Amino acid sequence: MDVQTKSKGLHGVMAEFRGPEELLDAARKAYGAGYRTVEAYSPIPIHGLAEAIGQADRKVQTAVLLAGMAGLGAGLSLCYYTSMIELSWVPAMFSGYAHNIGGRPLNSWPAFIIPTFETTILFAGITALVSMLVFNGLPLPYHPVFNVARFREHASTDAFFLCIEATDPKFDAAETRRFLTGLGATEVSDVEA
Amino acid sequence: MASELTRQAVPTAPDEVPVLAPGQTFKSVTDTISGIVLTLKTPLFWFANFGIGFLLLQLFLLGVTMLLFKGTGVWGINQPVGWGFAIINFVWWIGIGHAGTLISAILFLFRQQWRMSINRAAEAMTLFAVICALQFPLFHTGRPWLAAYWLLPYPNTMGMWPQFRSPLIWDVFAVSTYGTISAVFWFTGLIPDLATMRDKAQGRLAKTIYGVLAMGWRGSAAHWRRYETAYMLLAGLSTPLVLSVHTVVSFDFAVSLIPGWHATLFPPYFVAGAIYSGFAMVLTLLIPIRAVYNLKGLITERHLDAMAKVMLATGWIVFYGYMMEAFVAWYSASYYEGFVIWNRMTGPYWWALWALVFCNGVMPQTLWFKKVRTSPVPLFIVSIIVNVGMWLERYVIVVTSLHRDYLPSSWGMYAGTVWDWAIYLGTIGLFLTLFYLFLRVLPMISIFEMRELVHKKSPGKHVEMME
Amino acid sequence: MTEPTVARGFEVPASVDRIRRQAAMVGVIGLVALIGGAFVNRPQFFQSYLVAFIFWSGVSLGCLALLMVHHLSGGAWGLVIRRILEAAAKTLPLVALLFVPLIFGLEHVYEWAQPELVAKDPILLHKAPFLNTPFWVARTLIYFLLWSGMAFLLTKWSSQQDQGGAAGLDRRFARLSGPGLVIYGLTVSLAAIDWMMSVDPHWFSTIYGFVMVGGQGLSALAFIIIVLFTLTKSEPMSSVVQSKHLHDLGKLLFAFVMLYAYFTFSQFLIIWSANLPEEIPWYIRRLSNGWQFVMFALVLLHFALPFAMLLSADIKQNLRLLMPIALLLFVMRTVDVMFQVSPQFHEGIYIGWIDVAALVGVGGVWVAAFCHYLRGRPILPVNDPYLKEALANHGSH
Repeated sequence: MDVQTKSKGLHGVMAEFRGPEELLDAARKAYGAGYRTVEAYSPIPIHGLAEAIGQADRKVQTAVLLAGMAGLGAGLSLCYYTSMIELSWVPAMFSGYAHNIGGRPLNSWPAFIIPTFETTILFAGITALVSMLVFNGLPLPYHPVFNVARFREHASTDAFFLCIEATDPKFDAAETRRFLTGLGATEVSDVEA
Repeated sequence: MASELTRQAVPTAPDEVPVLAPGQTFKSVTDTISGIVLTLKTPLFWFANFGIGFLLLQLFLLGVTMLLFKGTGVWGINQPVGWGFAIINFVWWIGIGHAGTLISAILFLFRQQWRMSINRAAEAMTLFAVICALQFPLFHTGRPWLAAYWLLPYPNTMGMWPQFRSPLIWDVFAVSTYGTISAVFWFTGLIPDLATMRDKAQGRLAKTIYGVLAMGWRGSAAHWRRYETAYMLLAGLSTPLVLSVHTVVSFDFAVSLIPGWHATLFPPYFVAGAIYSGFAMVLTLLIPIRAVYNLKGLITERHLDAMAKVMLATGWIVFYGYMMEAFVAWYSASYYEGFVIWNRMTGPYWWALWALVFCNGVMPQTLWFKKVRTSPVPLFIVSIIVNVGMWLERYVIVVTSLHRDYLPSSWGMYAGTVWDWAIYLGTIGLFLTLFYLFLRVLPMISIFEMRELVHKKSPGKHVEMME
Repeated sequence: MTEPTVARGFEVPASVDRIRRQAAMVGVIGLVALIGGAFVNRPQFFQSYLVAFIFWSGVSLGCLALLMVHHLSGGAWGLVIRRILEAAAKTLPLVALLFVPLIFGLEHVYEWAQPELVAKDPILLHKAPFLNTPFWVARTLIYFLLWSGMAFLLTKWSSQQDQGGAAGLDRRFARLSGPGLVIYGLTVSLAAIDWMMSVDPHWFSTIYGFVMVGGQGLSALAFIIIVLFTLTKSEPMSSVVQSKHLHDLGKLLFAFVMLYAYFTFSQFLIIWSANLPEEIPWYIRRLSNGWQFVMFALVLLHFALPFAMLLSADIKQNLRLLMPIALLLFVMRTVDVMFQVSPQFHEGIYIGWIDVAALVGVGGVWVAAFCHYLRGRPILPVNDPYLKEALANHGSH
């Protein structure tokens, strides 16, 4: 079931490699040769591959840290506000209330630690997934690489691809194709946009 | 950076069974696991188990209808035993869920390779166990649709807020966070496999559904890099979370003043008990599945051995808990604590205590023998016995402490009614239904992690060259 | 299976010998001061000595437990530190010897050892069958026999392995370590009740055994990291220890920091919430008259700061950054033991020179013995079948 797309131009040139080591090696060489808009695709995570093509960042870590701190603040203020602080100038339903419960102090901080802990984890955990998706540009309904039949059938099983995209300033269809073949690719194909 | 996911090989004793049978390739593991869902003829075993589960699920619906129609009076709870099956089953199910998170998160952080072929199914088990557990406190409120304002913090016309000094509210926060994060963790683990399923599926509908769920995953270097970071962070967050959940469940008891409940040991001993019963349930589920789906190359004797060892260790912690409680009950010189322990051993519920000591304390000692740990049938029997034992443990804790109040005039007895049993067995049906649906539609073993394992075990020799 | 080239070059660096001499000297000075203290303030001598004894025996026992965990779980982290664990476990007979002076001053430390107090107190009378001097001493003797026996066997087999001894030794290690950990858990829990909990004989807490076990694990890990820092200043350890080993040790340290906080906070929350007259006095004592500042310091420096630092994977893998955290934790462990014990003897906050002299004196002798046991053998288990894999660099950087 080939997807028939009108050729709207070239997305890039894609080369297939034998295995993770070969892909990593080719990615390093492509980046070394000055290509910058490079994507490497593999069915398993390959250590150092993102670094090799300059795509490593710490955005997810940062987002999760910030979300965790937000969760901590939210949980703690929720407990304190609802159990300690009575405000006369807000509508009653929005005001906390300071009642004596079982003789425990209004500031029952040992008890508040637990809901606070849970909201910290909740915020941070959801952010881990969401930020990973957002920074990866997912969900994404269409991407040109799936126009390559080998990619569609094997990229998530046992094939390793390197794609140099047409937006790369150094990109030149014929030259890039030659370059990739020279890296030891088993197959080089054009990717329709 | 070396800080990221360097899942190094942990040494295997030369004569031990490997975590992966030899001769596997990227294609073979991918095809084996995805094939169970996509191409294999659904075995009779599946229909039998799903059928049993589905029937029991009807019993659950019947029980819940009856309960909502007539009220919690159809249960056996009374004065003084105001907590009965509902809390027992809740704690039992939540505990079972713990093994899934332990396998996914803690073993991941400590780079134990044997987790890889069982974590997906165990995580699914966690999620479904939490769903089953939630039914009990929910329906114990009597009218769940009216319970929201004292369970959840939102401004309401009564001007009420949840009581944050109460362990029951901690429980609401802990269990809902646990359910959410377990689902997030499970789904995160599934994304690359959903892409594989999308690419492998033949039917248009299946391709579309898997495609939507995979959200356009293409396995690019940046994808993987952020994915691994997110997964590791989730593992790091889940580890304290899973400890906190059963800790908070134990606080439901320990923060009170009831003799037999108010014990500082409860948190770690509940957590250990949870892991204990959870691993027993993983074994109960996986031993038959492994045989029926012919997965002995992926779930090897090594896995059974490792899980049995975890059971032995946590079983000892649980047993230590019983002994420490009994000793300190005497040591404390508290009359009531002493009475509770004596009443447990010799009172009207003596049978439950001694059955539990047999199930949780005596039987698991067979796991000292490697022969038992690696033979499916004896291990299956032990794991079932532990499941029963852990249910009895909660029965003993809940019922014996409540049925003898401080005032002898308030003493009473407790027994579950037919509706208690219907709802309890019904949640087992709910669990089986969900679990077998999961087996039918999603890869039960993490495919991409198995590919990674293939790569680690025999780098360079795993990719079959093109046809 | 090991060619001689592997064994060569694995000698213990000369610095260990230097440290041994220095530690012995410091220990002697500390002990002299301590004995002086005994003449100045006899009860305080025994009270301080108990703190020092509990702390330093905890390092030995924590190392013994980690050694057994390693024999069961395997892993490169354990092979790199196995000699440290073994040397620390070997000090157990010495620790047993260090216990002896306590016997002569029990009445200064334990209320239950004063017959006139027991006679007036129904609770102490109830406990007398358990808390009485002969039985108490006998129990401790049994603990030390068991602990020293296990340490002796594990180190003996380890020496046999070094000499290329009988095959199947690694199985024997595991076979002892499984039941060994059970014995360790039970005996240390009882020791926690005997040595520490019964300082306040009215108070009880079922989690106390876990608190002791967690504290020992934390002390031991902090100690190991400090020793590793010293050893990696010279060959061969400077080229042997890799970031993957440190990462695992860092994770373990992190886990124990959290576990210990978890045990102690659980105990606190349960007792605080119930507020029962038979339990809460223990905390009231420790949250008033200045002791609360020690508690704040513990929350901050025994948990919060190390926790925040150890979140970072980079810190966990860098020994130069990890070592100050370990040192801080090691010091805070002594403060924590003091916090558990001393408020029973002093209504108001008190940390005196006799306390310091006891910790330093006992510690100096202990460290000297540790260095002595470390010296005699190769710094790595050279004949262990997993060593090659443990030292291999799997190309992660």
